[in-house]
Amino acid sequence: MVSLNRDSVVAIILLFVCGVLFYSSFDIRQPDYGVLMPSTWPRIILVVLALLSSIYLIQSLRDKRREKADDELDIRVDAFAIEKNKPGLKGFFEYWRNPIICFGMFFLYLITLPVFGMLIGGLIFVFTLMSLLGGWKPRKLVTHAAISIITVGAMWGLFTFGLGVMLPEGVIFNPYAL
Amino acid sequence: MIIENVISAFDVVFSIQTLALMAIGVTGGLIAGAIPGFTIAMAVVLTLPFTFSMPPEQGLATMVSVLVGGLSGGLMAGILTGIPGTPSSVATTFDGFPLARSGQPGLALGIGVWSSFFGGIFSAICLMTLAPQLALIGLEFHPRDYFMLVIFALTITASLAGKKLVKGLIAGAVGLLVRTVGEDDAAGMARFDFGSEFLLSGFDFIAVLIGLFAFSQLLSDVRDPDVAKQSLAERGTIKAKIEHLMALKEIGKRWTLVIRSATIGVFTGILPGAGGSVANILAYDQAKKASKEPEKFGTGTPEGIIAPESSNNAVEGGALITLMALGIPGDVTAAVMLGALLIHDVVPSPSFIGDNPVLAYSIFIAFFIATFMMLGLQTVMLRVFVLVTKIRMYMLAAVILGFCSIGVFALNNGVFDLWTLVWFGALGFLMRHLGFPLAPMILGVVLGDIAELNLARALAISTDFSTFFTRPWSLFFLIIAVFSALFPLFQEHRGKFKWTLFYLPFACFAVSVPLYLMGGVARPVIAIIVLGFGAYTLWKRWKSGWEIAAEQELKAS
Repeated sequence: MVSLNRDSVVAIILLFVCGVLFYSSFDIRQPDYGVLMPSTWPRIILVVLALLSSIYLIQSLRDKRREKADDELDIRVDAFAIEKNKPGLKGFFEYWRNPIICFGMFFLYLITLPVFGMLIGGLIFVFTLMSLLGGWKPRKLVTHAAISIITVGAMWGLFTFGLGVMLPEGVIFNPYAL
Repeated sequence: MIIENVISAFDVVFSIQTLALMAIGVTGGLIAGAIPGFTIAMAVVLTLPFTFSMPPEQGLATMVSVLVGGLSGGLMAGILTGIPGTPSSVATTFDGFPLARSGQPGLALGIGVWSSFFGGIFSAICLMTLAPQLALIGLEFHPRDYFMLVIFALTITASLAGKKLVKGLIAGAVGLLVRTVGEDDAAGMARFDFGSEFLLSGFDFIAVLIGLFAFSQLLSDVRDPDVAKQSLAERGTIKAKIEHLMALKEIGKRWTLVIRSATIGVFTGILPGAGGSVANILAYDQAKKASKEPEKFGTGTPEGIIAPESSNNAVEGGALITLMALGIPGDVTAAVMLGALLIHDVVPSPSFIGDNPVLAYSIFIAFFIATFMMLGLQTVMLRVFVLVTKIRMYMLAAVILGFCSIGVFALNNGVFDLWTLVWFGALGFLMRHLGFPLAPMILGVVLGDIAELNLARALAISTDFSTFFTRPWSLFFLIIAVFSALFPLFQEHRGKFKWTLFYLPFACFAVSVPLYLMGGVARPVIAIIVLGFGAYTLWKRWKSGWEIAAEQELKAS
């Protein structure tokens, strides 16, 4: 198993991204006028970024040699883990449980937005997220429901009626929304 | 003309609607600042969606109020619970918490509140007097000078990351890169759109800012399940009554400390990238060094509260000076303010104060009024703070994430911005945990377009690249960018390697060249003084036999 420290993995990803973007910069159409072509500025940034990423990679490899025992992490899972967590996939998910839940729930919220709309979807999102992070005891559920209804309702009302923003209604309120 | 503009600005700010919005802003800022994990930048960035339906003067006044409130809110949590509400009030806890625990929470709060007030007023005066003067200098800038100024701002922000300089520079470059996605402003050509019509329109930079700052911060705040379920009230003294008179007496005895700390705050704010988190520690350290009783620091001495609180409230005045005079944000919160100006189609530049005098003076006046409002509302907010401390972080995170979604959708009435929010939230979270500073990236995102535009303008005037090194201002910014990039290395090697003995003299020699080239009377004189100082430092080091601290210690032992 090839083992790299966290910084080396990040540096390699950055270099890869630089390569892909530099290659795709050749797809940028060049107009017949102007001195600074649309592709020039992004290429300047990409060259600088690639240079910095190379320095970062060299630094990380040098540091790895120095602190071999402590910093070496498994490339598959532990590359983004930090101290205190248990090793392996289980430890990784245990350590990052809450951020993963937040991220996943927000993802679901966005996917279901055309169906539920922002009011119902927002209520479900805030309530479910609170319960997933804080627990499912009946008393807590009542508190979570009350907070969700008051806060999301207030924000929805403020933006819809106060600021005149047309928030997504969803097919529940408007079957033609999709 | 100035009086007319000031009167017009007064008219705008003193309307009942604006004053009410400002009071709400200060209250919101005080609450946000009091909640650990809820940074001022986050509060200001979350205020943005509310402001775009308002006239620019009203929107900016509201945001300034949130900012002023946020700067002062941190002290409540810091003094009463020992947990700083914001990074700007870290040093306040060193003496504020011990003083509160020794049975004088009212006095500790009073000193904090009044120091914040005086720091804020001092910086508001500096803002009103210095910004127009600096803008006059800014009018001398050509596009290539301006381009170099942006590069300098990014470099110095990255250099504040200390040993993580490379990471800071990478973050800055990524920020610049993010801004290139979509149609280019000059020619309208698609860049990095990969055939997606969403990417063609580019990332809305407010959505990027909310994602990077608010979303990622919330994910970090709830990372630890135990901490996420905890409330603030589980620690410290919560009940207190502010002792205004006693506090004023204590501050009156140490008024020079207030001015010195506020000056440190203003200058830290002027420096791009350095904010309240740096200023409060710096002012605390200076106060300790200058004190006759340094041993009392950390045990609950009033000086330990006055220094950080007067400096952190003075920072924003400084940050707004560079924003309003040069169009370069002094810190992350000023970067968000720049975003607010751009939303209203106002592009900050050296001609900003001249072109938009009513808006500029509205900001000045709003800063003053918000500082007074903060003083009045702080007493009332102490009761609200008791309620706030009962909120659990996970509840707050869920509610704010919900709010983020509504606020970001309202930017352009589009779902794409919500995806921008979530992806940049994830990116910001990853960057935080991988040790990449976010400030350079945010500055990169905000300044990306300005840098490209000025580079294009500079090359349209002349394709001769040598002028980047021969024009005095451009050369000046290039030199200080190089020396600021070397600064972390200098700090690390100081006292250990001989080359560090030459850093300061060489910096002085280098800077004196463009200063001299600028012409006139004052600048060549300053150049000669700087040159003389560099030569004197070099001579002193030569006299001491080029000895570094490590060698001196060795000899002494």
